Amino acid sequence: MLRTRSTASSSSGTSGARVASPRRPLSSRRRRELRDAYLFLAPGFLLFALTILYPIVRAFQISLFHWAIAPGAASAFVGLANYAHALHDPVFWRALGNTGFYMAITVPTQIALGLAAAVLLDARMPARGLYRTLYYLPVVTSWVVVSLVFRYLFITDGGLVNWVLHDNLHLISRNINWLGARWTAMLVLGILGTWKGIGWSMVIFLAALQGVPRVLHEAAAVDGARAWARFRAVSLPAIRPVVAFVTVILVIGGFNVFISVFLVTNGGPFDQTQVLLTYMYREAFSFLDFGYGSAISFILTLIVFALALVQLRLFRRPAGAS
Amino acid sequence: MRTPRLMLALAALLVAAGLATSAAAQGSKTTITFWDAYSSDGPEVKQLETVIIPAFEKANPDITVKDVTIPYNDLHQKLITAVAGAQLPDLVRSDIIWVPELANLGVLAPLDKDMPAFKSYSSAVFPGPLATNYWKGHYYGLPLDTNTRIWVYDPATLKSLGLSGPPQTFAQLESMSAEAKKQGVYLYAESGTGGWNILPWIWSNGGRLTNASYTKATGYLNGPKSVAAVQMLVNLYKAGEMPNIIVNANGGLGTYDGINQHKYDATLDGPWAFAIFSSSYPKATLAGSLVPAGPGGSVSVVGGEDIVLTQQSRHKAAALTFLRFMLGTFAQRQMAEAGQMPVIKSSEGWLPSIHPYYATYLKQIATARPRTPTPKWTQIDQVLTNDIAKAFQGSETVQQALDDAAHKIDGLLQ
Amino acid sequence: MVVGNRRQRRALLGARMLLLSAGVVVLLVPFVYMLATSFKPNTMVLEIPLKFFPRHPTAANYIQAWTSNQFGRYFLNSLIVATATTTAAVLLSAMMAFAFARFRFPGRGLLFGLVLIALMVPTMMMLIPQFLLARHLMLLNSLSGLIVFYTGGNLALNTFLLRSFFQDIPFELEEAMVVDGASSWTRFWRLILPLSRPGLATAAIFTFLASWDEFTWALTIINDPGKYTLPIAIALFQGQHATSWGLVFAASAVAIAPVLILFAIFQRQFVAGITSGAVKA
Repeated sequence: MLRTRSTASSSSGTSGARVASPRRPLSSRRRRELRDAYLFLAPGFLLFALTILYPIVRAFQISLFHWAIAPGAASAFVGLANYAHALHDPVFWRALGNTGFYMAITVPTQIALGLAAAVLLDARMPARGLYRTLYYLPVVTSWVVVSLVFRYLFITDGGLVNWVLHDNLHLISRNINWLGARWTAMLVLGILGTWKGIGWSMVIFLAALQGVPRVLHEAAAVDGARAWARFRAVSLPAIRPVVAFVTVILVIGGFNVFISVFLVTNGGPFDQTQVLLTYMYREAFSFLDFGYGSAISFILTLIVFALALVQLRLFRRPAGAS
Repeated sequence: MRTPRLMLALAALLVAAGLATSAAAQGSKTTITFWDAYSSDGPEVKQLETVIIPAFEKANPDITVKDVTIPYNDLHQKLITAVAGAQLPDLVRSDIIWVPELANLGVLAPLDKDMPAFKSYSSAVFPGPLATNYWKGHYYGLPLDTNTRIWVYDPATLKSLGLSGPPQTFAQLESMSAEAKKQGVYLYAESGTGGWNILPWIWSNGGRLTNASYTKATGYLNGPKSVAAVQMLVNLYKAGEMPNIIVNANGGLGTYDGINQHKYDATLDGPWAFAIFSSSYPKATLAGSLVPAGPGGSVSVVGGEDIVLTQQSRHKAAALTFLRFMLGTFAQRQMAEAGQMPVIKSSEGWLPSIHPYYATYLKQIATARPRTPTPKWTQIDQVLTNDIAKAFQGSETVQQALDDAAHKIDGLLQ
Repeated sequence: MVVGNRRQRRALLGARMLLLSAGVVVLLVPFVYMLATSFKPNTMVLEIPLKFFPRHPTAANYIQAWTSNQFGRYFLNSLIVATATTTAAVLLSAMMAFAFARFRFPGRGLLFGLVLIALMVPTMMMLIPQFLLARHLMLLNSLSGLIVFYTGGNLALNTFLLRSFFQDIPFELEEAMVVDGASSWTRFWRLILPLSRPGLATAAIFTFLASWDEFTWALTIINDPGKYTLPIAIALFQGQHATSWGLVFAASAVAIAPVLILFAIFQRQFVAGITSGAVKA
């Protein structure tokens, strides 16, 4: 009987050493296992704790103060006042809405298109390496260049997109003022984000699809399954942990969108396209309210964390299924 | 008995070495660090690093100047982080609008106290730029380079419209805009509703943003003269005589492209417009004229950079020597040739010979005013931008918009 | 995965390539525009409407970008930092991922949870605390300061990624080694790592790109122009009132080259056949 991958691993479990023993003093084997575990963990985790976790704690501390930047200046402790301020701030809510919208556009699209690209590229064909490199190209192109180009593509009078839609295909009666209004501008930003990110998820899916043993595909083919059915029955379940990973990361990335918005609209016009991070950046670095900026970023973290929990639960395999 | 003698010898050696190095240290150079935001392939940084600094170091052999160029869009962020981490350099070429903010943080040295002969330098520079360094009773820097906005236009377009010259008064602005519209051209294009964009009009009409001591906006920003100035612009916009980039800079045709394509005739801009046009639009012609005058005269807005000394500098004397050098005629003239308008009054004699358009800028800067010197300027500017835009978009009347703005600005000026 | 008869395969291949080519065209538009503009004479304003092909192509921008200031030096700095970071981050992450995927130990859930949470906090808010920390550690104004913090910053994502890949490797293969008394390090080095080359290649590509492109931290801690990295060099071409776009585009094109080369090399790891046949009834 073929032992398929789907029952050998799960998104949260482990296929580690079998320890079935009841409460007994630790065997030397178990002690070795613990020692090994911590030894493997220690170097990386210590660096991680120092350079990331400790600053996070300090950043949280800043959010509880009306923080004064100059060293030596006294900061006033305000408790959760910065957080309360955010909840009453209309620009904060608008930024939250924009960020959610951006995420809704970019995440499913990147997963679907990235997966499609990976499946198409996961085959022996001429110039396969070249195609893969070309698909990855947007990911490595600098944000400055890309934002500028997109801004020019979507200019109201004279931009390429309106030229195609209005002058050529006659799909619209008047030139759309893409970057002048909230939702059209967010749509442009979403397109930009998706365009730039497809190559990223493609790379991961490609790597994951390699792990699906050919034997399984052949077995399914022998059973008469056509390509799509094979994909659904074999590939998808096998790459499930990776799809979970990609989804979680893309949601985090979607909520953390910053540089494209900063360069294309800078939250404009008039704060219509602020996203959480551009708003936070302005409050902290332009207006010097670091306590408030920090509070905004932790609210963001909380939301993303809640979403991640939901996602991981959705991706958790029901016991016994395959 | 050998060991103690050995140790004595070693000790003697160490003391001698210590004395030698400290003697060397006394004769060794002081290095001062200077942060600026010139672009790396531009003429300014070349002048600074190949002409000005070598000349200074020759005249002051015990001082070395280390020039650090930082991308302009990121200089403010880097300054703030440096404040938090106490990593500021000795001198900074800071945008004028950041000086009150930095002074308020306590990181700048008050030059009127710490700089010997400060008065001789402060009286040698234009008053408008000097005022940008003032905060709570002290001057925290000196101007380094300045600029202002003048009426920059294409004479060829004007001619094709049948107009004899650029508007000199508000009345002419209105009549010429109407005339231009009939032929499908926008006479005047403005790309925003912030202080930099709107204040010249308010001031030229005799209005003000705040009272003289910069503590209150209500009664000034929403006073009748200020309202009338903004109303004039709103009327132009509503009549279709100004392009919509004033509320939609991102998606529309920019001022330079518009002027080049003869869709716009003019805008208000600084001296860099001439440099950009000559290099990017060689076929276009550009000329300058004073901002159209209203009842308050022709009053424009001051831009530019100040040079500031940080409190944490450990070489204040050396840094001040360099600061004085940068304000001397030699350095100011070298930078003028690189496109940086000087701040010393004596430049009126030789500046127009470098570029003729400087003559108009000199005239304009004599009466130009700074934006409100306050640490909260960036927030005030955001309020102006957002609220004045509502008047243009029609969701509020000009009076309502300015009332709102003045009220919010009052809070920020506290 | 090639199954089915010859004609089917040919048709499938044709369809694949057609779809892929359509996708490539859409994806490449901005990149082509960037390349085209980099070969146009330098200008501070871009023409509207966009013109895709230069009338008089010139390599002047590339020459000027490379010879301006210390561009070659910045390139080298970025190369050193990115290579060191990638090596360290991938190795440390693989070790952590191995621990999380293969061992059960008290605190595993909590520690992994901390890794995940760190991913969710916006890096911008950590800037000042990290700056103060770097000052304490005397890592300011140094390439080491970049390497240390870049490595730390890439650990979370890579650990999460590699853990997923390691979990996909069936334990049977290691079981034999465990029974034979092989040490954990041997299992890790001799079995897990070779089997997860696609995952490691992915982590390496991402880490290299992230440290190659990183701007904010480099700008914050480096005060010595000789130690600037490439993203700062490119930003320096942008001026206060005008930007030399031709130079920016040329410099950006040059900056892309090493990452693309690395990708082209590493993507060969995305090749099937490593584990196929190893799992049998």
